[in-house]
Amino acid sequence: MIKAVIIDDERNSRDIISLMLEKYCPEVQVAATASDCADGIATIQQHQPQLVFLDLEMPDGTGFDVLLGTQDAPPFEAVFVTAFEKKFLHTIRFSEVEIILKPIDRESLMNAVGKIADRIHANASTSRYKVLLENFNNGRNINMDMVIPVTQHEDMIIGLNKITYLEASAEKTTIHLSDQQQIQADRSFRYYTDLFSTLRFYQINNHQMVQLSQINNIEGDGSRALLKNGVKLEVADRRRKDLVSHWKQYR
Amino acid sequence: MIRIFLLFLLFCCSIVTRAGIPALDTLVADFDHLPAAVDLRPYLLSLVDKGGSLTPQQISSASFNHNYHLFHVEKKHIGKGNNCWLKLHVRNTGSQDSTLTLFAGWHDDMSWYIQDSADRKMHLLMHTGLMRDRAGVQRWEHYGFNVTVPPGSTHTYFLHINNKYYNENGLMPALFNDLQYGQFRNGQFEYYRKETILIHVLLGMLLVCLAIAVINYIQLPDKSYMYFAAYMLGLIVFFTLRLEGQPYQLSVFYRWPMLKYYWDIPALLFCFYLMYLAFGNTFLNLQERYPFMEKLFTSVAAIIGGIIIICFYCIALEQYQVPVMIYSYVYISTLLPFLIVFIALARRSRHHPLVRFFLFGSLCFYMASFGSFLMLIRPLGLINALGEISAPSLLIVAGVLLQSMFFLAGLSYRNKLVHHERTRTQELLIKQLNKNKELQRKLNEQLEELVKEQTTEILRKKQELEEQRKIHLETEYDKKLTEIELKAIRAQINPHFIFNCLNSIQLFVMQRDFEYAQKYLSDFSYLIRKTLDFSRRNFISLSDEIAYLNTYLGLEKMRFEHKMEYEIYVDPAIATSELEVPAMLLQPYVENAVKYGMTNTSYPIGQLLIQFNQIAPDMLECLIEDNGIGIIRSKTLRTLPKHHQSSGMEISFNRAELLNKMYNTGIHIDIIDKSENNNTESGTIVRILIPQL
Repeated sequence: MIKAVIIDDERNSRDIISLMLEKYCPEVQVAATASDCADGIATIQQHQPQLVFLDLEMPDGTGFDVLLGTQDAPPFEAVFVTAFEKKFLHTIRFSEVEIILKPIDRESLMNAVGKIADRIHANASTSRYKVLLENFNNGRNINMDMVIPVTQHEDMIIGLNKITYLEASAEKTTIHLSDQQQIQADRSFRYYTDLFSTLRFYQINNHQMVQLSQINNIEGDGSRALLKNGVKLEVADRRRKDLVSHWKQYR
Repeated sequence: MIRIFLLFLLFCCSIVTRAGIPALDTLVADFDHLPAAVDLRPYLLSLVDKGGSLTPQQISSASFNHNYHLFHVEKKHIGKGNNCWLKLHVRNTGSQDSTLTLFAGWHDDMSWYIQDSADRKMHLLMHTGLMRDRAGVQRWEHYGFNVTVPPGSTHTYFLHINNKYYNENGLMPALFNDLQYGQFRNGQFEYYRKETILIHVLLGMLLVCLAIAVINYIQLPDKSYMYFAAYMLGLIVFFTLRLEGQPYQLSVFYRWPMLKYYWDIPALLFCFYLMYLAFGNTFLNLQERYPFMEKLFTSVAAIIGGIIIICFYCIALEQYQVPVMIYSYVYISTLLPFLIVFIALARRSRHHPLVRFFLFGSLCFYMASFGSFLMLIRPLGLINALGEISAPSLLIVAGVLLQSMFFLAGLSYRNKLVHHERTRTQELLIKQLNKNKELQRKLNEQLEELVKEQTTEILRKKQELEEQRKIHLETEYDKKLTEIELKAIRAQINPHFIFNCLNSIQLFVMQRDFEYAQKYLSDFSYLIRKTLDFSRRNFISLSDEIAYLNTYLGLEKMRFEHKMEYEIYVDPAIATSELEVPAMLLQPYVENAVKYGMTNTSYPIGQLLIQFNQIAPDMLECLIEDNGIGIIRSKTLRTLPKHHQSSGMEISFNRAELLNKMYNTGIHIDIIDKSENNNTESGTIVRILIPQL
């Protein structure tokens, strides 16, 4: 049994989470609920749950505030439940913390609970929450750390600025780092391109995305990008111009 | 001189014979020893046939008598013509059968009859006359009629003379023997030849003048040359026809004997009046110089033309004396006017060389004709002289010549003037042309400059316009962008709210509270529909806004399970359906008030009051009041790092700004913390002032 706490300012929301957990995730037992941050922190400290369903925005604070306020409590897994994730998209996604969007659908709830149950059973580290809080405090910048899921139970933490380029490989993504290291991430290439598109990355062709800061030079009218670590990448014809302009803008 | 001498001689003879010899019926002469030319006047019986209807047979039995008035030496004005018969009884007392010659002058139509002594029948011996003779010099030999009387016998001859013309040549019958006739003939020949030579010389000169005029006219088509040439031609024909009547001359116009009558008086009128006036008119350029004179000349010339036609008509009717009378009157009546015209011309422009030439020529002829007229008066008397003024005397010939010379010289001078004028005009033209060229060049330069200037101006303007367009585009773009931003903001109903609503509905469904779910769902869909609708519009009516807020707050209230209460108060004075407010302006503030109104621990139930007041005729006040912790405390409570600022309120502020920018509205937003005024109270008041347009 997994002991859980639900923190949400709306009763309807708390009700539906507990109702759905009861229905679809019987292994989770809701120990208590709270309707705001302060109450939430107190409840966590009181009940010491393994899993917390956290509303992102509440009248007196955010879900992050709850996490910050319970750092001294025994580590627990958290699932963010929110109606709208855009504001903290990168903060949450980079740390690979589970997030469920309202209205809650059964699959994502079961998926998230399943993953967390696995981690709890495997006694996996909760370092991702540290990354989450760091990223939250630093804001969106180039020094953000990233949790890369390598296998189902294994994660790696790398600095965003270390990435030179990403490459699609089957259902996974190969992440090339500046020290020539390669990481096989258990995420689709499309997932990363969506995530990075608003950052200083540029997709040079349909299977490679490069970090602009890692480009040393662009050769032959943009046909080849020469990276700082010496790697040369081919650029798709129709992206050359765009790449050059992006690169110039970055510099 | 010879003529005068002969005249004098014959005159003396006539006086002697008339005085000496008594009237006799029969000439008794010794044909062998005819002493001299026998004046036949005392022996000739005459009969004037006024009707002209008597036949020779009637004549033989008619009675003749002596009529001295019938005879005359010189040409005589005879009025309506003379149709007379002369009867000569002659008896030869000589022994020889010799022939004498009777000469009675040069007449138009002459018939010579002999009467048979037995049956008194008339036998035509000879028919001759100026109107009948053929060409050649020989014809002049037909005017001597043979009188052949055997010795001792008596013959009766009749001479019929029919002169229809108003002028009759001398009718002075005389009888010559062969020798005497020869002498007489030679005398006549000599006499006429001299006059003829004069006319020939004149003709030659006139021809030269004509040639000059014609040549000049061809070279320089000036009308005055034409008139001058016509004048010359008229004169030439006139004088040539004069030769017709001169004995012992070749005839040119013998085929048309009537021509000399037709071109007698009309010629004078034509030459000395019609052509003269026309010539003067164009030669002096009277139209410009003296318009009145030009009119006068033209009208007189027209009148003369009419008179010429009348003359022709009279001549055709054989009324030859009428043109003469007309001419006499014309001459007499124009003598003084012409003089006046000359004086007037002289006074007007005496110093003009052309006028001088014209005046000198005219005066020459005028004097000559007048002089000749005066000269004629003395021998012929005034009346006869009037009839005779048409006859060209030496003086008139000289006058004509002088006039022609002057006119020709004048024409030459005129030519020169015209030439000068033309040269000058050409020079002027060339000058003008050069000037024009210069002007054109300057104009072109100016134009070029102008074009250049204007081109630069146009370019400048174009650039300006381009810039303006750019600016306009930019502002337009800005406006568009603002509008789009505004729309985007409007469309941005808090997604949290949407998904939370959906979440609530999900819960109701799961709890099988379908009625509630349905109510929730319909309210929610109304709200979404309205949101979509309003996001497309800039302004909505206040009633729409109120309905929207009511629905929204109802949903919120359901969400928060009566942890909040709300009230919307509308000033009854406000016509809500007519008043317009910016769409979705209030919603974010209301949302905020809902959110923060429930945070106050001292009030378990959040109280929300929305008021619409008409504070001025054109100002709508909108108050959104909550009993939360107040904006100040709420801010301090916020634990979010700076980079995670909540955007809701900012958006609203931005929106007010954008709206003001877009529609020039003076929307004003105040956010007041109740604790600022009164420590015992808490909560936030948002005061929005919307001016009514």
